[in-house]
Amino acid sequence: FSLLVGIVVVVVVVVVVFGDLLQIKKQLISVISLCKERGLVHSVKWASELAFALDPLPKDELPPPPPFTEEDAQDLDALALAKSYFDLKEYDRAAYFLRGCRSHKAYFLYMYSRYLSGEKKKDDETVDSLGPLEKGQVRNEALRELRVELSKKHSAGELDGFTLYLYGVVLRKLDLLKEAVDVFVEATHALPLHWGAWLELCNLITNIEMLKSLSLPDCWIRDFFMAHMYTELQMIKEALQKYQSLIEAGFSKSTYIISQIAVAYHNIRDIDQALALFNELRDQDPYRIENMDTFSNLLYVKSMKPELSYLAHNLVEIDKYRVETCCVIGNYYSLRSQHEKAALYFQRALKLNPRCLGAWTLMGHEYMEMKNTSAAIQAYRHAVEVNKRDYRAWYGLGQTYEILKMPFYCLYYYRKAHQLRPNDSRMLVALGESYEKLSQHVEAKKCYWRAYSVGDVEKMALLKLAKLHEQLNESDDAAQCYIIYIQDIFSCGEQLEHAEVSTALRYLGQYYFKNKLYDEASLCAQRCCDYNDAREEGKALLRQISQVRDQAETPSAELFAPLSNNNTPVRRVSPLNLSSFTP
Amino acid sequence: MASVHESLYFNPMMTNGVVHANVFGIKDWVTPYKISVLALLYEMTTSKISLPERRRLNKLILPLQQGPDLTLGQFLKTVEDCCPQTAYAVKLRLHEMADGELKDMEFFFSTLPTPFTAFDSEAYKTSVVGLFMRHMLLAYNKLSFSQVYKLYKSLQQYYHSHYAKPTDRQVDVPVLAADDSDMDLTSTEDTVGDRTDKEELDTPLHESELRRGPLSQKQAEYFLARQAYLLKNDENKALKPAALQDELNNMLKFNPDFAEAHYLNYLNSMRVQDIFISTHSLLHYFDRLILSGSEGKSNGDEGYGRSLRYAALNLASLHCRFGHYQQADLALQEAIRIAQESNDHVCLQHCLSWLYTLEQMKGSDSSVLTEDSVKMAAHFCLPYLASLGIQSLVQQGAIQGKTAHELMDALKDTDILHWKHSLSELIEISLAQTTSIWRMYGKSTMALQQAQLLLNMSSLEPVNFGVQQNNTEAFAVALCHLAELHAEQGLYGAVAEILLHLKEQFPPHTQHAKLWMLCDLKIQFERHMNEGKYHLAEPQVTAIAALNKTEGLYRKAQVLKALNRSTEAYSILQRLQVHCEKTKCTEMIIRVMLSTAELHWESCGFSTALPFLLQALALARQHHLQALASETVLHLAFTQLMLGVPEQALTVLHEAMEPILAHGAVMDKGRALLLTARCQMACFCGSAAASYFSMLNCKERLRDVYYLQAQLYRSLRQTSQCNKCAMLFRLLDQELQSPAAPISMRL
Repeated sequence: FSLLVGIVVVVVVVVVVFGDLLQIKKQLISVISLCKERGLVHSVKWASELAFALDPLPKDELPPPPPFTEEDAQDLDALALAKSYFDLKEYDRAAYFLRGCRSHKAYFLYMYSRYLSGEKKKDDETVDSLGPLEKGQVRNEALRELRVELSKKHSAGELDGFTLYLYGVVLRKLDLLKEAVDVFVEATHALPLHWGAWLELCNLITNIEMLKSLSLPDCWIRDFFMAHMYTELQMIKEALQKYQSLIEAGFSKSTYIISQIAVAYHNIRDIDQALALFNELRDQDPYRIENMDTFSNLLYVKSMKPELSYLAHNLVEIDKYRVETCCVIGNYYSLRSQHEKAALYFQRALKLNPRCLGAWTLMGHEYMEMKNTSAAIQAYRHAVEVNKRDYRAWYGLGQTYEILKMPFYCLYYYRKAHQLRPNDSRMLVALGESYEKLSQHVEAKKCYWRAYSVGDVEKMALLKLAKLHEQLNESDDAAQCYIIYIQDIFSCGEQLEHAEVSTALRYLGQYYFKNKLYDEASLCAQRCCDYNDAREEGKALLRQISQVRDQAETPSAELFAPLSNNNTPVRRVSPLNLSSFTP
Repeated sequence: MASVHESLYFNPMMTNGVVHANVFGIKDWVTPYKISVLALLYEMTTSKISLPERRRLNKLILPLQQGPDLTLGQFLKTVEDCCPQTAYAVKLRLHEMADGELKDMEFFFSTLPTPFTAFDSEAYKTSVVGLFMRHMLLAYNKLSFSQVYKLYKSLQQYYHSHYAKPTDRQVDVPVLAADDSDMDLTSTEDTVGDRTDKEELDTPLHESELRRGPLSQKQAEYFLARQAYLLKNDENKALKPAALQDELNNMLKFNPDFAEAHYLNYLNSMRVQDIFISTHSLLHYFDRLILSGSEGKSNGDEGYGRSLRYAALNLASLHCRFGHYQQADLALQEAIRIAQESNDHVCLQHCLSWLYTLEQMKGSDSSVLTEDSVKMAAHFCLPYLASLGIQSLVQQGAIQGKTAHELMDALKDTDILHWKHSLSELIEISLAQTTSIWRMYGKSTMALQQAQLLLNMSSLEPVNFGVQQNNTEAFAVALCHLAELHAEQGLYGAVAEILLHLKEQFPPHTQHAKLWMLCDLKIQFERHMNEGKYHLAEPQVTAIAALNKTEGLYRKAQVLKALNRSTEAYSILQRLQVHCEKTKCTEMIIRVMLSTAELHWESCGFSTALPFLLQALALARQHHLQALASETVLHLAFTQLMLGVPEQALTVLHEAMEPILAHGAVMDKGRALLLTARCQMACFCGSAAASYFSMLNCKERLRDVYYLQAQLYRSLRQTSQCNKCAMLFRLLDQELQSPAAPISMRL
C-alpha cells in the first residue's frame, strides 16, 4: 500500500481562471481612473489599451466611483489645483500646495511631484554642470529625503499601493535594488492592477531563479507579467504559450499582446510570423510608433524596400522626434546603402535616448559598412556598456576585428557572443572561421560541426567543414560532409544564393571515382551537369567512368546495381566519423 | 564624409550622447578648493610675510596646485603649519565670500591680480602661479550664470561643512588626499589604505551613503598614475586588489571615458591572477584607445592601427604571463603580421623581444633571435629593448658556459647604456644578474657584494611616490641570493631576518613570491638534511616540487639516498639526468652526476663512480662553475682515497682547497678539511718506517708501526689492509711475547 501511495504523482495543471471578462473590465476601468488622478500616465495607457480590447460595459454595470472620505473632501480643492500644476510640469508648485494634505491620493501626488521635480532638475543640471567633478554628482537630490520619509511611513505600514510603488522607484534610483524588489512585490500585492509596479519589477529581475523565488499575487494580471518576463529572459517558447492562452481567454483584440507576440517572434527570428503580426498591428493601430523599430528591422532583414520606405515616411508624418522613428529611418537609409545618413539618424536616436541599446549596435553596423572600423568599435563598445548581454554588439566587435585581420583577437569577442547565444550557429561559424585562419583545425572542425548540430541558419557550416577536411586530405570525412550538405540543401527546399551544391557534387564524383564506386560517381557526375559551372567537369568525369568501365568489364559492377537506384549514395565509410571531435 | 561624422559625433568627450563641458579642452575647473588656493595665492602676493614662512609657503604652492582637492580643514591645516597668519587671512577671505552674497565671490575674482599687467609680481603670466591664475580666471569667465550660482553654492557648502559637524549628510571625503597633515610629495607616508578603513569605521551609514564622489580629471589621472607606479614598483603600498577594484569601478561609473582605468584594472586583476577580468579590461582599454587615436591617419604611426598592433601584443604578453604559450604565440604572430603590414619597426622590435622571451619560456634556444633583436633595437635606437636583449643574451650565455669576462664585458656595456638613458629598472636587473652570475660561478664574496650594492641603491625614479625600495623582481632575486649565501655560512638568524623581510615585501599572493618561497624551502631542506632529520626534509620535497619540478625531483632523490632507498633514488636520478640534458641545465646535470657517484659509493663501486665524477668535473670546468668543480674534486679525492691512492687524492685536494676556503659553504669547508685529514692519515708514512725498522729488524718498533697502521686502516675502513697489518702485528706480538710499552712514551 505504501508503495502505491508513494509512487502516484499528481500533476497539477494550474489553469488560469480569468473569472469573467466582465470583472476584469470593471477592474480595469476603476484602475484607469485611479492612475489618472495620480498622473501615472503610462499605467493609464496600458490599462486603457487593454480595456479597449474588451467589450464595452452596459451602463448599469459600470463600476462605482471609489469611496470618498472626509479627508478627500478636505483636500479636493488643493488636489485639483495641484493636479493642474502637475499636468503643466510645475512640480515644485504642485508639491507646495499639497504639503498639508492628508488624504492618500494627495499624499501620493505630493511625493510624486517632489520626485519628478528632482528628476527634472537632474536632467537640466546635466546640461550645465561644473565640469567633470560635478558630472557624476548630478543626481536627484530629492531622492534621499523621499526615501527617509517613505521608509518611516513604510515601517508604520501607512503606504498604499501607489506610494509603495513610488517608494520602490526611489529605492531603485538609489541603487538599493534588493530592497526595491521587496517593495515592488509588496506594491503588487497591495494593488495588483497597477501595471507600473509590475513593469518596474520586471526590470529588476535578472534570471528565472529570481523570478521563481518571488511570491506574487494570484491575479489575472500576473499572467501578463509572466509573459513579459519570459520575453525579457529570452524564454520565447514559454512567452508565446502564455500570450496564446491570454488571447484565448478573450484578449484577442489587444494591440499590446499582438505587439508582444510579434517582438517574441522577432527574437526567435521567425520573420514571416512576426511580419504578419506587425502588419496586423499596423492595421489596427496605424498611428502606433512603439515597436516600429523592431518592425523595420524585420523589413530590413527581408530587404522589403518599398514597405520600409512607406513605414519610414508614415512615421515621420506622425512624429519625427521619436527614437523609433529615427531607428526606422536609419534602417531605411541603410537598406538604400546610404550608410552615412543612416548613422546620422541612429545618432539622432541616441540623442533622444542615450540608453537606446539597439541604436548603438545598429550604428556600429553602419560604421562597419562605411569601413570606419574605429567608429564601429566605439559604437559596439557603447552598446556593450549599456547592456553586457547584447550578443549582436559582441558579434559586431568580433567582425570588426576580423576585418582588421586579427583573427586571434576577435576570438574573444566571438566567444562572448557565443556564450550569450550558445545555440546560434552564426557565432559558431564565425569562431570556426577564426580558428581556421589560425590553423587550429581541430577547434575549427568542432565549431563547424557544432554549428551544424544546433541548426545552421545559413547552411554554411557543413560546406566549410567539408572544405576543411578536403584541405587536410581527409577525403572520407569530407565526402560525408558533402553528402549531408547536399541532403540538407535539398531537404530545405528553397534555393540559397550561396549554395555550392555543384562544388559538393564535383568533389563527391571525384571521390567515388577514386574509390572505384563508379555507379555513384556517374550519378554525381550526371547531377553535376545540372549546374553551369560544373557541367564540363561532370561530362569529363562521365567519359572517364565509361572508359574505365570499358576497360575493366568487370562483373563487380553488378554489385552496385541495386545501390544505384538510391538517390543518395550509400556511405562507404561509417556514418560521419565525427564523434571524435564533436564537442 | 566619414571623418566629418566621426569628429562630430565620436568626440572623446561625449558619452551616452551628452557632450561634456570638457569639450573645449579645459582640464581645470573652478572648484571651491581651487578658490581657496586662489585666496592663498592672493594673500601671498599682497601681504607681508616673513622670509622663512614665505619659503615654506612657496614650497607648498606646487603640490597644492597640482594635487587633488582637499577639504577645507585639511587645506587650512596645511597652510597653518607653514604660516598661521596667512591661514587666518585665507579663512577670513573665504568666510567673507561664503557668508556674504554671490557678489562677494564675483568681487574676489575681479580683485585677483591680472597676470598680464603685474610685471614684477609673482603672478606674472609665465610664472607657475600666473599660469594657474590664468587657467582659473579663464575657467571662471566661461561659466554660465547658473554655473556661477552653483559654484557659489558649493563654495558655501564647502566652507560650512568644515564647521558643521557632519550628520546625516554625506561627508565629502576626498579619497585621494595623499596625506592628512602635509602635501609634501616626497613624503614616505602613504595612508590611503588606512584611510579607507578609517572611513568605513567612522561612517557606519548605509551602503548608498558610503559611495564615493566622482573624481576630477586631474585627480583621476593622479590616482591612476600613482597606483600604476606602485603596482609596478612596490605592490604592498598600492591599494589592496579589492579596494583598488572598488575605486576603479567607482571611477568608471562616473567617468566611463577614462580608458586608463580599464588598463589599471587589467594590471590589478593580473595581481590576483584573474584571467577573465584582466582579458576583459585589456580589450576594453584598447577598444577605448582606438577611439582617442582615431583622429590621426588611419593606419600610420599615430593612427589607431598602432593601437591595434599594441593591443595584440599586449594580449600576447597577458597569455604569456598566465603561461598560455600557444595562445601567446598566436597573438604574437598576429601582432607581428599587422606590424609588418604597416611597417612599424618599433612595434616589430617589441614583438621580436617578446618572441625570444616566449621561446625562452618554452625552453627552446632563442639566442639567434635575441641577437637579431639586439642588433635591430640598436639600429632603431631603442636602448631599453637593446639592453634587455643583451641581458637576456648574457643569461643564456651564462647557462651555455660563456666565460665570465665576456659576460661581464657585455653587462658593462649595457650598464653604460642604462646610465646614459637612466633606465633605472634595467640597472637593477643588471645588478641582480651580476649577483646571480657570480653566484653561479661560485664566487660568493663577489655575489654578496653585488647584492649589497643593489640593496643599498636608492631609487632612481624621478617621481617615486615615497617608495624607497622598489619591489621588483630584481630585488627579490638579490634578497634570495643573500639569504642562500647566509645559509651557506650557517648564519640562520640572518637568513630568518632576510626571509621575514622578503615575506613582508612580497606577500604570498604577489607575483614574485614564488622566488623566496623556493629559496626558503631549499634552505630549510638543506638544514634538515645537514641535521640528519630526514623525516622533516621529506615534506619540503613536495613543496619544492610544487614550485620547481626539477629541483623537487633532485631533492627527492637526495632524501631517498639518505634513507638508503638507493634503487628508487637511482631511477629518479637517471630520469632527471635525461631531462636536464634535454633542457641543458648544466648545474643540475653536475649535481645529479655527483649524487649518482655517491650512490655508487654506497655499493662500494668506487671505480664505477669515477667516470661520472670526471665527466662532472669536465663539465664544471667547461662552464666555469667553480663551486661545483670544487665539490666534484672533493668527491673525486674521496673516491681516490677509497681506492687506496691517498697520495693522488691529496694532490687533487690541494688544488680545490683554496677556492673552497675562500668561497665555499661552511659545509664544504668542513668536508674538505676532514677529507684532507683522512688522506694525510692514509698517507701516513708508516709503511716507510716499517721498511726502515725491518731493515734494522727492530721488531718492537715494527710491532708498534703495524699496530698504528692497523688502527688507521680500521678507522679508514680499509679492512683488508687492516687485517694484513693486524696479522703482521699479531705475528710479531707472538714472536716478542713481551707486553708492548706505550707507543707514545718513546721516540
